[in-house]
Amino acid sequence: MSMTTSATIILAAMVAAYIAAKIFKISTELSMLAAALVGGLVGGAGLPARHIAEGAFTYLDICLIFITATLFMNLLKESGGVAFVVRRILKRFHKHKFLLFIMLAVLMLIPGMLTGAGSVTVLIVGGMVATVLGYMGIPKPKAAAIVFVIAGLSAAAPPVSLWAMLTAAGVNMPYVGFFLPLMIPCLVLALLTIFILGWKSKPVDLEQALKELPEPPARMNWLKIVLPFLVFFALVIAGRIWPFDFPIMGLPLVFAFAAAITLLLSPVHIDFLDVSRRTVHQLLPLIGTLTCVGVLVQIMTLTGVRGLISVTVVTLPAMVVILTLFLTLPVSESVLMWGAAPVLGVPLVLLFNTMNLNPVIALAGMSVIWPLGDAIPPTAIIGRLTVETVGMKERYSTFLKYCIIPAVLIILVGTLMVIFSKKLAFLTVF
Amino acid sequence: MIITILYYLLVAFVVFLMGWNLLKSKKWQEEVLYVIVLLPFLLRLLRLK
Amino acid sequence: MIRKTIIITLGLILLVFSGLSFYKSRHLKEPVVIGPGVTQVKKLSEYFPAIKGSANDANVYVLEGAKKGGALLVLGGSHPEEPAARLTTWILTENATLEQGRIFVVNSANRSATTVTRPSGAYPASYTIKTDWGGQTFRMGDRWANPLDQWPDPEVYIHYPTRQNLAYMDIRNLNRTWPGRANGTLTEKTCYALVELIKKENVDIVIDLHEAELQYPVISTIVSHQKGLDVAAMASMVLSDEEFKMGMEKSPLELHGLSHREIGDHTNAVPLLFETPEPFLDATRGRTDEKLLLEGKDEFVVRAGKRGLLFEKIDEKGWPIDVRVGRHCSTILQVLDVWSQDHADKAVALRNVPKYDEVIKKGTGAFLRDPSKADPKLIYYE
Repeated sequence: MSMTTSATIILAAMVAAYIAAKIFKISTELSMLAAALVGGLVGGAGLPARHIAEGAFTYLDICLIFITATLFMNLLKESGGVAFVVRRILKRFHKHKFLLFIMLAVLMLIPGMLTGAGSVTVLIVGGMVATVLGYMGIPKPKAAAIVFVIAGLSAAAPPVSLWAMLTAAGVNMPYVGFFLPLMIPCLVLALLTIFILGWKSKPVDLEQALKELPEPPARMNWLKIVLPFLVFFALVIAGRIWPFDFPIMGLPLVFAFAAAITLLLSPVHIDFLDVSRRTVHQLLPLIGTLTCVGVLVQIMTLTGVRGLISVTVVTLPAMVVILTLFLTLPVSESVLMWGAAPVLGVPLVLLFNTMNLNPVIALAGMSVIWPLGDAIPPTAIIGRLTVETVGMKERYSTFLKYCIIPAVLIILVGTLMVIFSKKLAFLTVF
Repeated sequence: MIITILYYLLVAFVVFLMGWNLLKSKKWQEEVLYVIVLLPFLLRLLRLK
Repeated sequence: MIRKTIIITLGLILLVFSGLSFYKSRHLKEPVVIGPGVTQVKKLSEYFPAIKGSANDANVYVLEGAKKGGALLVLGGSHPEEPAARLTTWILTENATLEQGRIFVVNSANRSATTVTRPSGAYPASYTIKTDWGGQTFRMGDRWANPLDQWPDPEVYIHYPTRQNLAYMDIRNLNRTWPGRANGTLTEKTCYALVELIKKENVDIVIDLHEAELQYPVISTIVSHQKGLDVAAMASMVLSDEEFKMGMEKSPLELHGLSHREIGDHTNAVPLLFETPEPFLDATRGRTDEKLLLEGKDEFVVRAGKRGLLFEKIDEKGWPIDVRVGRHCSTILQVLDVWSQDHADKAVALRNVPKYDEVIKKGTGAFLRDPSKADPKLIYYE
C-alpha cells in the first residue's frame, strides 16, 4: 500500500472517530483525543503510551503561561481592580463616545494580549464592557459581537500570540519581528469594530450605569492596579536590556510575580487557594485543548497523516491557497482550535517561504484571521462563552450576523498582509 | 538554579490544584481531561521528561 | 467513585509506561570501543570545570600521530537528531589511526540533547545500526538540550555577545550558542568549554557534522568561515569531481551563534560545517519511524521534490544512512587532504577511515566494534 493510501485511510478513520465522538456529545478536546487514539490503532501503532505522553508535553510551557497569566488577571478582578478601572473610564469619558470607545477597545485588548487567550478577555472584562455598551443603547447581540471580535484580536495581538508562536516553532523560525505586524492590525481592527458596531449608540446614562456596575473596594487606587503591570513589564524589559546579567525568568514566573504583587496589594481579603483552583478549572477546556492537540499532532506525525496534509497543502496552486485562507483558517480553528497552527499553519508558512513571501508578515496576517473560527461550530468555544458572559438571550445566529462586517474587514486585512507581505517587511523590526 | 526550583514548585502547585479539582469533579469527561492534562505536569515533576 | 478510580488508574498506567520509556531512553548506554588511534580520553570539563558532573560533560577522544602536525576537532551530536553526524564520530573513534598531527573527537557535543526526543515530533526512542555481531543501539535525541537539564527558556533568546534575537528554544540549541558564555546556561557553557578546548589545544580546523531537511537551502554542502574558503572550495571541487556532488557556502557575516561563524571569529581555528540530506527531518515527511530515519525513503518528500520545493534531489532510493555517513567520512578525509597539502607543517594524516564507496559497500555497521568482545578497559560510554 502506498503511503498516500495508508495515510488517507488513517485520516478518514480519525475524522470518523472525531465525528462519532461529537455525535455522542463528547467535548471537542476529548473528541480530538479519541481521533488520536483511533489514528494510533488504525496506523498500527497500538496505544503508544510514549507518544501520547510526549504529544501531551508539546505545549507544557504555554499551559504554564496560561495558568499564571489568568491567575494574575483573576486576582486583579477579585481585588476589585477591574471594576475600578471600568468605573473610572466611564466617569471620565462618558460624555465623549469617541474616547470611551478607544478606552474600552484598549481595555479589552490587554488581557488577551498578555495571555494569548481570547477567553480570558471575555471572562475578565467582557461582561463589564457589555454592561457599559448596554447603557449606550447597544443591543446584546451587537455587544456580544464587539466583545467576541475584539477578544479574538486580543488573542492574536502581541506579545503572546499563540497561533504565530506555535507555527513559528513548527518551522524553526524565531518568534521575533512579530510585534508591529500583529499589533497594528489588531489595534486598528479592534477600533474599527467598536466604532462600526457601536455607531448608533447613544450617550451613557452615567448614574444608572454606576449603580449597576460592581462597586470596587474603597481602598482601591490606581497604584495598586498599575504596580503589578509595572513589575511585569520591568522584569520582561530587564531581561531584554541586560540579558547577560539578568537571570532567565521565563514568562510563567514573571506572571506569577505580578500575580503575587496583586495579591499582596489587594484591599480586600482574597482566598488565594480558591481563586487558584477556580482558575485551573476555568482554564481546563483551554489547557485540555492544547494538551489533546499535542497528542493529536504527535499521532498524525507518527502515522504520516500530518505529512499527507502538509504535502497536499504545499503542492496546491499558491493563489488558490491564499485566496481561500478566509475559509480554511477559521474552519481549521473551529475544528482543531490552536491545533490549526501546527497542522495547517506550518505547511502554509513553508509554502509562503518557497514563494518568497515574508513569513513573519504572512504568518501575522494569518494569525489575525484564525480567531474568527472561534465563533463557528463545532467548537465555537469563545463564541458561546461570550454569548453566556454577555447574557444574550437572542438566537446565536443573530450574534453571528453582527460579526460579519468586522469579520470581512479582518479577512481582508489578513489576506492582504499575506499577499503584500514582502512590501510590509519593514514592520518586522522587533 | 533557584529559578528552576521555582518552576518545579510552580508545577507542583498546578498538580496539586488539578488533582484537587479532579477529586472534586463529578463529570466523567472532565475527569478524563484532568488526567490527560496532569500527565505532562507529573512527568516533569518526577523529572522523567 | 468507581468510575473515578478507573479513570485515575488508567492515567497512572499511562504515566508508568510512558515514564519508563522516557527513563530508559534517557539512560540508554552507548558504548564506544576506542580504536588503536585513541591515545587519551579526556572529559570536556578538563577545559572548563564549571560543566563537571553536568549532562554535557562529554568525552573527548584524542588521537595522536607519531609525527607532529596540526590539530583537528570533530564535533558529532551538535544536533543529535542528525544521526549520520554521530555515527561518523563513532567510525573515527573506533577505527581511525593517525600518522601526523592530533585529532580531538566529541561524539556528543550536546549530550543533553541526546537524552530527549521532540514533543509532537513522533521520533523513535532509539535506532539500531545492524552489525555482523547483531547491532548497536543509539539514543535518538533532539535538536535542543533536554529541558530536564536546562529550564526555563526566556521569552526571546538574546545571543551572547552580539545581542541578536533568536527563537526562545534556541537557547538550548548548541549550534546557536557559540561562542558560549562562562556564566550562561548549560548549552552556552558547553560551547564555552569547547572554545576553551580549541584555544588550549591550538586547534587549527573544527569540523561540525550535521544533517538537514531537503526543504532547507543549506544542504549537501560545506559551510565555511571566510578563513577556510580555500580549503572548502577545493575539497568540494575534488569531491564533486571524484565521489559525489558537494557544494560550498560562505558563512553569512550577520547570522550569529553558529559554529561556522563564531568559532572563526573568536578563535584561531578554521570552522567548517558539513550538511548531508536527512528526509526524516522534512515537515512533509510521511510515517515517522526508525525506517525513515535510516533508509531516508519517503513518498511525500519525493512529491514535494517533484513540485520543486526541495533544495536536494530525492527519488525512490531515498537517502540511506550509509550514504550520509559515507559522505561525511569522505568529506573529512578530503578536507584534511587539501589542508595538509597547503599546510605541510600543520598536516593531519588520518588513516583507516573508510571513504564513501566503502561505507556504502560494507555498511556503517561494519565499522562499529562489538563491546561484548572488547577489553573492558577500552570501553567508554557516551
